[in-house]
Amino acid sequence: MPDLLDRAAIRLDAVAADRDDAIRQCGHALEGVGAVDASYIDAMVERERSVPTYVGEGVAIPHGTLAGKDAVRHDAICVLRFPDGVDWDGHLVKLCVGIAAKGDGHVRLLSELAQILLDPDSARALRESANVDEVIRLLQPAAQEVPQ
Amino acid sequence: MNGKDVKKLIVACDAGMGSSVMLASQLRKELRKSAVTVEHTPVNSIPGDADVVVCHAGLGARAKASAPDTPIITFQVFLGDPAVTRLVNAIKNGSEINA
Repeated sequence: MPDLLDRAAIRLDAVAADRDDAIRQCGHALEGVGAVDASYIDAMVERERSVPTYVGEGVAIPHGTLAGKDAVRHDAICVLRFPDGVDWDGHLVKLCVGIAAKGDGHVRLLSELAQILLDPDSARALRESANVDEVIRLLQPAAQEVPQ
Repeated sequence: MNGKDVKKLIVACDAGMGSSVMLASQLRKELRKSAVTVEHTPVNSIPGDADVVVCHAGLGARAKASAPDTPIITFQVFLGDPAVTRLVNAIKNGSEINA
């Protein structure tokens, strides 16, 4: 089974012209590790227009719609860091965690991300990390976590 | 309604793969000590036995159409929204919920 977070799907020095460009880059990163078909990228942009995925602390988690799930080949996330920030409907986003999911394989990782974002110091560490190994370590679900 | 009467809380979402999953997982954690089941479902299939529905403001109208008789709490921010914090506190303390 492929890793949920492939090193190849992490880019810490990304630059985006605007929100949609950032989302498309996330989509391409997911496509690049074989997680989604290209059509998923449009679903991600479309979803953002109906319900934004800004979650706070300078982080957005773009993902597709229910209809776009057919374009998902396996559960995966990507991490793109935009050191210059991207204007996200008035919020400044510095980190995107793009999601492709068929099942619930990514739920623990998202739960871990929620914990990080609720603690401003951890959120800053994740947002400002320029090291791929550190990003992977920060997002690693805690071992004692029981899936629900 | 009163927070102590909440047995089933639904986080309603569009795709059920991102932010709602994150919020549901967070609410489970916060309500671990309460006898509340937290589930996430698509906004157009909210179960009939839901006591309260939590969803993003952008999905509020669809949630209302899907579950017209269930109190709906809408929020703007996925993590740390004051409306959600008030709901969690009402459930924990058994106080009144204003949906």
